[in-house]
Amino acid sequence: MNRQKIDLTRTPQTFCWGVFLLTWIEIYFHKGDISMSKRYQLKEVILLALIGIIFGVIYYAGDFLYNGLSIVLTPVGLGPMANDITMGLWCMAGPMAAMLLRRPAASFLGEFLGAAGEMFLGGQWGASNLISGFVQGVASELGFTLTAYKHFDWFGLTTSALTSTFITFGWDWFRNGYAHFSLQLNLILLIARFVSMFIFCGVLVKLVANLLERAHVTKTN
Amino acid sequence: MNPSLKLALVLLISLEVSFTQKLGINLILIMIGLILILKTRPSGLTLVRLIAIPAIPAATLAITIGAFSPGHDWFFAAVLASRIYVYVCLGSAVTLATTPLELARSLEQNCHLSAKFAYGTLAAINLVPRIISAVKTIRAAGQMRGLTLSFWSPQLYFKAILSALTWSDQVAQAMESHGFVDDQARTTAHQIRITAWDWVILVVSLALVQGGLIVLP
Repeated sequence: MNRQKIDLTRTPQTFCWGVFLLTWIEIYFHKGDISMSKRYQLKEVILLALIGIIFGVIYYAGDFLYNGLSIVLTPVGLGPMANDITMGLWCMAGPMAAMLLRRPAASFLGEFLGAAGEMFLGGQWGASNLISGFVQGVASELGFTLTAYKHFDWFGLTTSALTSTFITFGWDWFRNGYAHFSLQLNLILLIARFVSMFIFCGVLVKLVANLLERAHVTKTN
Repeated sequence: MNPSLKLALVLLISLEVSFTQKLGINLILIMIGLILILKTRPSGLTLVRLIAIPAIPAATLAITIGAFSPGHDWFFAAVLASRIYVYVCLGSAVTLATTPLELARSLEQNCHLSAKFAYGTLAAINLVPRIISAVKTIRAAGQMRGLTLSFWSPQLYFKAILSALTWSDQVAQAMESHGFVDDQARTTAHQIRITAWDWVILVVSLALVQGGLIVLP
């Protein structure tokens, strides 16, 4: 019992450091690609912010989903699952931006600038939006960094869904008190989060990207 | 207070609150946030929304921690619920008291953020009413053809992104035809300064929060 407790508190910290290290190694090896990539033009910056805001607007239309799920799941002790089930919807702007522009930093900027825009949208979170936007942006960008910005396809999207799952989960571990849940509940939440990420940031984004490709608006290198 | 410093202060405090478990300081921060919000004279509806909507995630987390988790730690449950209100109160205190334009100017002049990011994002924010009406139009157009477009429909996102592509092109052209040039030195019509008083508020507030974190439960 005691042993399990120690494991539970240590694992996420080790994990966070691991992710940190991995990120820097990736940036080091691909810093050529990143700095060589064309600088973002005004038009693209506006587009990235717009994409983030549009996804926010569509999400608010489906906000009842979170509230309904919370109310149904809380009495059975699975309340936080509402957060995990809807998490994929929050993180869609990043991978979508990456699929559209196919450039380093597109995913991060789409997510973060979108969050900056939503800050003033009248959502009650205000400036705190920036913190979640930053974490989600880094999380989905890392998936494309790990594939060396060469896989704007199923492989890249799945990797991005995986990194998004783990990093946003690590963040909730501290911020939303997941560390205090039972191990069993944490596993259920982690799986629910990945399924949500895969469906929204993987399948749905790919379907939209296919439509964009057929309309010949996607950047092709 | 200077918009950039205000934003930095709130972000720093929010981050610190995320990693500490003190109920006392959370309650004090909520009170301060509420006072700052009331000073901006918000409408009744805004206030009700601010308090009512976060109640669902706050209650969900608190009940799960208190009733269903090993340890049944109701103190931590209260910390988590109050933490959510800290984010909401402080976060909204910034956004209600600052306009996007002020913040963009301040970030550009005081924090040397590249002008295209400051004003590009600002342009996107100013398009929000059009984005909302465009999403409604796309939905209505779908319904006329017997299609219900929801948040899981690729068509809805596809059409919205097509609009965004057109708008970003048009807005960028409009800005450039009004003399906006990427990566060029700009003169400023409205200067935003950081006064010594701003720094004093920032440092004193942070020091008080540290003190509170050590002293309070």
